[in-house]
Amino acid sequence: MRRALAACLALAILAAGCGSTDDSSASNGGLTVLAASSLTEVFQDLEPDARYSFAGSDELATQIEEGAPADVFASASTKYADELFDKGLTRKPQIFATNKLVLIVPKDNPANIHSVPDLEKDGIKLVVGAEGVPVGDYTHRVLENMGEKSVLDNVVSNEDDVKAVVAKVAQGEADAGFVYVTDVKPVGEDVTAVTLPDDVQATVEYPIAVVKDAKNPEAANDFVDLVVSDKGREALEDAGFGIP
Amino acid sequence: MRRLFDFLLVAALTIAVAFLFLPILALFIRISPRSLVSALTSPVALEALWVTIKTGLIAHAFVLGLGTPAAYFLGTRRFRGREAILTILELPLVLPPAVAGIGLLAAFGRRGLLGDELSALGISIPFTQVAVVMAVTFVAAPFYLRQAIAAFAAVDRSLLDASRTLGASPWKTFRRIALPLSVGGLGAASTLAWARGTGEFGATIMFAGSFQGITQTMPLAIYAELDRDIDVAIAIGAFLVVLSAVVLLSVKLLPSWRRWTSVSATPFAPSSSA
Repeated sequence: MRRALAACLALAILAAGCGSTDDSSASNGGLTVLAASSLTEVFQDLEPDARYSFAGSDELATQIEEGAPADVFASASTKYADELFDKGLTRKPQIFATNKLVLIVPKDNPANIHSVPDLEKDGIKLVVGAEGVPVGDYTHRVLENMGEKSVLDNVVSNEDDVKAVVAKVAQGEADAGFVYVTDVKPVGEDVTAVTLPDDVQATVEYPIAVVKDAKNPEAANDFVDLVVSDKGREALEDAGFGIP
Repeated sequence: MRRLFDFLLVAALTIAVAFLFLPILALFIRISPRSLVSALTSPVALEALWVTIKTGLIAHAFVLGLGTPAAYFLGTRRFRGREAILTILELPLVLPPAVAGIGLLAAFGRRGLLGDELSALGISIPFTQVAVVMAVTFVAAPFYLRQAIAAFAAVDRSLLDASRTLGASPWKTFRRIALPLSVGGLGAASTLAWARGTGEFGATIMFAGSFQGITQTMPLAIYAELDRDIDVAIAIGAFLVVLSAVVLLSVKLLPSWRRWTSVSATPFAPSSSA
């Protein structure tokens, strides 16, 4: 029965993968990459021919556990990569990028927010990642480091991945949201970023690993090599990631 | 030849039944009855149930309260533009829920068509239970309207005319003749609309967001718990299967409703993910 459920999930992933990218994966024998949402732009630029499924790292980890067909897993948190490695589902993960959190507000800034303490005001609509989603866990940690956990009282929605947070702020429906620095550039016309001090940042590390049951281990290794190559580093740095 | 033909038919049927039933069965086999109960009594599941029931009842009041007179009008009158109106009312039926979500944002969001008017009144809809009610109403109402119109249209015209010539007011004719004669069809329509509303996912997550106890309905809770506590996700799923089965059986078993159930809905199935 476990297998039946896995098959359903696999179908769902295939469908999602096909839906979100041009179906041009044939050229490299169908490399399937499951990657954290925050990697959407940089990975697509780096290797346009792979088939991607971008989602919350936690969700992707569950999919791999359920037997979803995947060749590479790139996560926004060491937690899920380590879990999968410990369960023998992936090869050894390596850290290829780091990131930072930032507060974003819509360009017209309707709630007049310029700092984290501004979020304490009554009636602010704050959107964050759900607990268990890496960006959500990092948000909680940063707010704890700042002694500002009370602003979480103003959360109106716990989103399932970072891009959902970005979208709600960029559309102007939410007053503010916590996302990664690297998420700002693609929506630079719609949002303004408020940087957070370095000493309150959580350690945001991105591990990448080849999935053990990879259908296409060779292409998977090539992809990982590309990501950690000079070209990969450059693309990541351009997108605003840190290099470990 | 005949035997081969029959064999192919039976083979196709077997595959279809297995494919459609296996995922449902798997939900119940995946976790033990005990963890099913404990997962269902977890705060996430209970709050999701409460949000679903509350928003569902309010949405349903709108669907019935506005839908019944609208359907009566459309079912008993013929006028120019009627077909166009019917098409508009049925459109959400075939619309992907994600389109409903973005449409609701475009109309009622802060930057939407009515955004300025609403904020001038101090009203902000996204991320509230009002948004959930609106999303549910938007996707469920066409299910009710469509079948309610058919039910009213099937009432023998001469009975309504007789009632009027015998001096009954239009209001009395509606209440004493049309309504009792279509009650079976309206009941089935109402049940299926409620079922569809309970399963609403895509429009809600886009328009109302997801917050436990406020906007997180059962389908949203399944999505949120999938990677946190899969037992809770499966338990809520199993609960919705049971509820769907009850709805379907009640529609099928009441004989007077039978003729209205040919247009079948898919109770509780979120038809897309956001």
